[in-house]
Amino acid sequence: MKASIRKLGFSIAGLVLLVVSGLSFYESRHLKEPVVLSDGVTQVMKLSKYFPDIEGTANDCNIYVLEGKEPGATLCILGGTHPEEPAGRLAAWLFAENGVMMKGRLIVVLSANRSATTVTRVGGAYPPDFIIPSPWGGQTFRLGDRWSNPLDQWPDPEVYIHYPSGQYLAYLDSRNLNRCWPGRPNGTLTEKTAYAFLEMIKKEKVDVVIDLHEAELQYPVISTIVTHEKGQELAAVVSMTLTDLEGFKMGLEFSPKNLHGLSHREIGDYSDAISLLFEAPEPFLDATRGKTTTDQLLTGKDEFVVKAGKHGLLFEKIDEKGWPIDVRVGRHTSAILQTMASWTEVHPERPLLCDNVPRYAEVIEKGIGKFLQDPAHGKPGRVLFE
Amino acid sequence: MKCISWIITLAVVAGFVLPPASAQKQTVKLDQPVLLTSCGQSPGPLKIKVFFGRLNIDYVYNLQASAGDLSAKKKEGKPFKSLIIVTGASLKGMGASKVSIEDELDRTKKLIAEARKQGMKVVGAHVEGMERRAQGATPGDNSDELSIDAVCPQSDLLLVRKDGDEDKRFTAISTGKKIPLVTFEKNMELSDVLKNLYQK
Repeated sequence: MKASIRKLGFSIAGLVLLVVSGLSFYESRHLKEPVVLSDGVTQVMKLSKYFPDIEGTANDCNIYVLEGKEPGATLCILGGTHPEEPAGRLAAWLFAENGVMMKGRLIVVLSANRSATTVTRVGGAYPPDFIIPSPWGGQTFRLGDRWSNPLDQWPDPEVYIHYPSGQYLAYLDSRNLNRCWPGRPNGTLTEKTAYAFLEMIKKEKVDVVIDLHEAELQYPVISTIVTHEKGQELAAVVSMTLTDLEGFKMGLEFSPKNLHGLSHREIGDYSDAISLLFEAPEPFLDATRGKTTTDQLLTGKDEFVVKAGKHGLLFEKIDEKGWPIDVRVGRHTSAILQTMASWTEVHPERPLLCDNVPRYAEVIEKGIGKFLQDPAHGKPGRVLFE
Repeated sequence: MKCISWIITLAVVAGFVLPPASAQKQTVKLDQPVLLTSCGQSPGPLKIKVFFGRLNIDYVYNLQASAGDLSAKKKEGKPFKSLIIVTGASLKGMGASKVSIEDELDRTKKLIAEARKQGMKVVGAHVEGMERRAQGATPGDNSDELSIDAVCPQSDLLLVRKDGDEDKRFTAISTGKKIPLVTFEKNMELSDVLKNLYQK
């Protein structure tokens, strides 16, 4: 009798845990993130416009188009390839909510792998979301993960064989958008997503694609631009100018020709676009970090990562000031704006010029929240959700 | 005690009056065409290439230039007149080019030997700061320093972004081997430095 009561007690406790955690997962997966469209956004489309097979899936994300007042080139920003690197999404957000293209056209993606925004690291006890404070209160964003949600793509193969190179990669990377380029129409959801973006890049005749990322300080490719051969000179000028003028160092690395599936390699190989990837430092991703909290995510402060630095184990400096999210987002906005300026120097007949988006110093001085728009005061029809 | 005070005072005054290595007058002049290459497959040469293009300097950019390239140009009757080798290694770059640091050191050794044979001026450059030094690399990865050792002590001129000489490594090579050292602080200053070097 006693044993039966104990079993019943454990069963009820298990059910309670299941319901509570299930509700939390459900809320996280369905959290609506408002986007108050900038006056510069002239059109919003769905990714499925370029590949109808993706319609109705988690990855049929919004595509924000900012048509310039004067004609010019086309630049595409991919935010949210790895949503757990939030500076990429947030920097893209500042363009969608503030940007006005004076010359040329800008295409902004906030959730390139939307499925990956709906889950966090399985078994990693990550916070489900985070809040960026703003003058009107604050906005909640899903934290997300590096990989598509297993609810949307399952099962994983034992070994992921990249298409079309045949390169062997870790099984998990079959759900990693930045290992699935150029994608294929009859592949997995993540491969189909890459394929759809590549169709968009080709059909919209995109000149430059920038994929926004963050990296752990123990990873050698950090605080840098990774460039395809086609973008080497552009990237070199951007790197040198940012380092000289904006007060932060931006390195330069070549995209290896024999490392497949990455945007900086495959977009350049399979389209006419120049492909660049920007990396900012994110201590939250370091394996030697302490508590995995939203505070750590947003301040970038971590005594254990600092200690790793003292032992010479890092590729980027860190001190007690950490790497606050404003600094990381500011690096990205400045790098994008500088790419436009450096492109225009070489192609004055096809310029790119974006107004109203803050650069590095201004983002740090005022904070990201200052540039997030209040959805309660958005114009009718100009507030969408991610 | 008084004597020590005088020595310290003289040393301080000398520090203000005597120019540091970085401020030494740029006396070396270089001729065109230039062969621009790397020892370690880093993206550093690209930074120089950008300014060569803007300055209309006659150059060939070849990250894997060999001694054979120098000989071939000479046979054509259009020999290179100067050689710039940018030091600092990239594991990503070497991996992509399918070469090891040993291959790079061997190629560079032969390249410098051929340049010497042809009487060319050789410039050892380092333009990416401490990130492209052993201090900024994986613990135990000494390939940046190996590339510096292979090139800089055999050069006629050292061209270095100042923050890459934080530990005075290039200053020591310059002083020890009596090789002029030209430094610059900002990337964009490289344009004027190259203009001066190649100005007639």
